[in-house]
Amino acid sequence: MYRIVMVMLLGLALFGSAPVAAQNSGPQPANPAAEVQAQQETIRALLKEVNDLKARVAALESRQNESRENAGKQTEAAKPAEQAEPKTTEAAVPAPGNLPGGAEALHAGGIKMQGFAAVTYKASDARPPEGGALLGFRPGSSGNFAVGDIDLFLTSQLTPKTLILTEIAFSEQSSGEFETDVERVLLKYDANDYLKMSFGRFHTATSYFNSVFHHGGWLQTTADRPFVVEFSDHGGMVPSQAIGASITGKIPSGKLGLNYVFEYGTASIIRPQINVPGAPEIEEHNGNEITGGLFARPDWLHGLEVGGSFYHDRISPAADGVSLGVHMEQSVASARAVYVTPKFEFLSEGFLIQHKVQETGQKFNAPAFYGLISKQINARWRPFFRFQYANASAASPLFSDISLRYGPSLGVRYDLNDYIAFKTQYDRTMRRGFSSINGMLSQLAFRF
Amino acid sequence: MKIKSIGWARRSRVRKNLVRKNWKPSVVLLVLLAGLALAGLKLTELKLTAQKLEAQKKDLPAGGTDVAVIVNPQNPVDSISLADLRKIYSGEKQSWNSSLPVFVLVRAPQAREREVLLNRVLRMTESEYKQFWVRKVYSGEIQREPLALLSNGMQLEAVRAEHGAIALISAQDIHQGVKVVKVDGHLPGTAGYPLR
Repeated sequence: MYRIVMVMLLGLALFGSAPVAAQNSGPQPANPAAEVQAQQETIRALLKEVNDLKARVAALESRQNESRENAGKQTEAAKPAEQAEPKTTEAAVPAPGNLPGGAEALHAGGIKMQGFAAVTYKASDARPPEGGALLGFRPGSSGNFAVGDIDLFLTSQLTPKTLILTEIAFSEQSSGEFETDVERVLLKYDANDYLKMSFGRFHTATSYFNSVFHHGGWLQTTADRPFVVEFSDHGGMVPSQAIGASITGKIPSGKLGLNYVFEYGTASIIRPQINVPGAPEIEEHNGNEITGGLFARPDWLHGLEVGGSFYHDRISPAADGVSLGVHMEQSVASARAVYVTPKFEFLSEGFLIQHKVQETGQKFNAPAFYGLISKQINARWRPFFRFQYANASAASPLFSDISLRYGPSLGVRYDLNDYIAFKTQYDRTMRRGFSSINGMLSQLAFRF
Repeated sequence: MKIKSIGWARRSRVRKNLVRKNWKPSVVLLVLLAGLALAGLKLTELKLTAQKLEAQKKDLPAGGTDVAVIVNPQNPVDSISLADLRKIYSGEKQSWNSSLPVFVLVRAPQAREREVLLNRVLRMTESEYKQFWVRKVYSGEIQREPLALLSNGMQLEAVRAEHGAIALISAQDIHQGVKVVKVDGHLPGTAGYPLR
């Protein structure tokens, strides 16, 4: 027992002294006096190190207190630059005025470019085949791939308040060829929050969808646009483009967050007849359009937008260069309620499109709406449900091809990363006078 | 009695023989045990030190971890609400007044200031933030997304250079030439300050 205890003590002594032995790995002096002297020197060195560290801590504490006082003063920090020690985790603070080019360097010129594109597979059992928003799909095909729109978005900041914005779309036609279209080209001048002006070619403020998503398919939750707000040259019902001036801004209204938009310009709408592929397109020969809108973004519910707009112009439609023999007043009244947060999306817009024949006074009303709801799950998945409806008179000079059509869409979007999204959806469209359509869209949308 | 005495002596001899013949493994085992015990002690000591450091970190003055909102000294704004700060960093408020546009600066991803911005002000993830700004600029609603800078030094320099600039910066990195703005009536380092 005694031996065991001795061995344990020996072991403890060995392990306890191991770190010390490791620290003092140099040769041990043979002379005891020299050993004592060496230990004293070590103690002196350690004491000096402790004092140095204390001084350093005091300096750091003093600096920290000074910074806090400076922050608390609310006025300009009064700390001399020479006292500022660079942070170990930050880049060194440059002396004032050392920013190359000063403030202008922050507004770096040049052109910034972004792009949006997608590869889509569409399958449909439409009989007879439909035209309209083909985006590269072959009418009559039960299913085929298409690229659709390739969208280039370019901006150039001219001054802190002035910007040039351009959007160019290369659209795949049903023949497989690509057609170039300048979708937007705008000189924008933002005087302040209450007055922002744009001049050039723009997407009209007739709908929220038209104002926000443009041709960037990646931005949309769904693989396609709702039918009513589809671009006019893809068969949509609402005039989507015009050339002219647009003014928008806030209205002082406190927490209600009212905004206005006013547009004056010339629309030039050419619309295909969607139920007859290959049929001549309708050229509306629009006169000058005027659009006014009002919407609220209340402070108390961030992401909510409620409002409406009114569009008016005069048109003299023609097909294949031959006038249809009528002149019409076209009015589009719309209302919307939108609630969009990063994780939740609810879009709903309603429209009443009226064509009044000037010669006869006859009015054709076409109500339409869509609603979309989606919720992000697990940061990447976003299932969605959409319902859309459009009802036009069969006697309408412009929308007889639309007639009545409505139906749901159900699908899911999966974001592979911040740049690529995969979407797939099932659409069912009920039509008056024709069989219902079952459609499937799968899309790989990306930005670059 | 005798038998007992002989038995005890025999057992004692056996033990002695065992200790004499097999003392090496026993010593190694005991030394190992002792080493483990010491290692445990050291580990406990390290844990205690870490706890002390953690406690010291918590006891640090609040201003040391607060993120301050700074603007150019020529900016007339002295105080801002958290709601207005959110409007600025989400592009809804783009001008300080009729003539001074807001120039929004942010730190690059993974900086503490950016985390505070995303968690306390915008309540978004990094991915959601990126998508939000792509949509915002693409819609034409705003001219440019916030300028992302790599260091607080660059933020300070940009705020000094641009009259309409605003940035979030760690309070301990503030230097001369910028103005610290109250948030919801509180300055960094005071109780109730929302950005920490």
